[in-house]
Amino acid sequence: MEGFVQAVEGSAINQWVIGTAWGWPIMEIIHFIGLSLLLGSLLVIDLRMAGFFRQLNIVATHKLLPWTFVGFGMNLVTGFLFLMGDPARYTANIGFWWKMFLVAVAGLNALWFWVKINPVMKTWEPHADTPLVAKTIAWVSLGSWFGVLLLGRLIPYIGTG
Amino acid sequence: MFEWLEGTKVSMWVGESLWGYPIMLGLHAVGLAIVVGIFVMRDLRLIGFFEGISYESLDSLRKLAWTGFVINATSGCFLFTSQATTFASSTPFLLKISMIFLAAICAAVIQNKMRDEAPQWDSSGAVIGSVRAIAMVSIALWTGAIIAGRLTAYL
Repeated sequence: MEGFVQAVEGSAINQWVIGTAWGWPIMEIIHFIGLSLLLGSLLVIDLRMAGFFRQLNIVATHKLLPWTFVGFGMNLVTGFLFLMGDPARYTANIGFWWKMFLVAVAGLNALWFWVKINPVMKTWEPHADTPLVAKTIAWVSLGSWFGVLLLGRLIPYIGTG
Repeated sequence: MFEWLEGTKVSMWVGESLWGYPIMLGLHAVGLAIVVGIFVMRDLRLIGFFEGISYESLDSLRKLAWTGFVINATSGCFLFTSQATTFASSTPFLLKISMIFLAAICAAVIQNKMRDEAPQWDSSGAVIGSVRAIAMVSIALWTGAIIAGRLTAYL
């Protein structure tokens, strides 16, 4: 990690992030709006997929997915810029690594959804209960993303090296 | 009054204990994600996205969104006590609170309209213009509250 930190510190992107006036708060604002879109859309999709809110048409709830990706994209870009701006602080922080681990879990879980649920979902009854595999995927998704949210907010307070 | 608040035991716990502040900050983020996330998704539906989700069924999300609001407001009150005098004189903070107050009024107006008129919107396929306008204002207010909230830490 020392090599990574040395390579980033002083690089053009590092200088741009820390040298831009109001850069950091603007990126934080985008990161917060992104997380609201990501978690808001996933709450609707996953809670329905977990069997709640059966009034909602389960197939139609997946029309929210593009907003999940928009939110994720906003947070991926701003998150990457945070890392570039202050690599030593993030890489020394155990909370950051747990957060990245949970993002990876959430990503694999999304892949599981894509393989197991997406191809068959269109044939489901729009207002019926859901199979166990769908419920499992939904709870793993909500658990990992809310874990990501908490760890992200608490990075300044936990395990700083 | 704000000075008195800062001297209370609750304020001391939030401001000075090891976990008081982080716990409240964590809850504040969870509440934010739920209340803003759900209300914005509802607003987007009213504006015309996500065709296939009936307007009538949207009402089922109401309790979840208000649960997020309560988590957010409660943790926010705890956080406020820790630096009451600073927050009470911070322009971005006061802007944030005003925008949240207005966004909550928008939410109340929208849900009353939905309760009465959602079945009509579903059968005609369109939401009345005034409700679409309020939904857009609601999105703008929540976005503004996030912006002002973040800036509270800097200004």
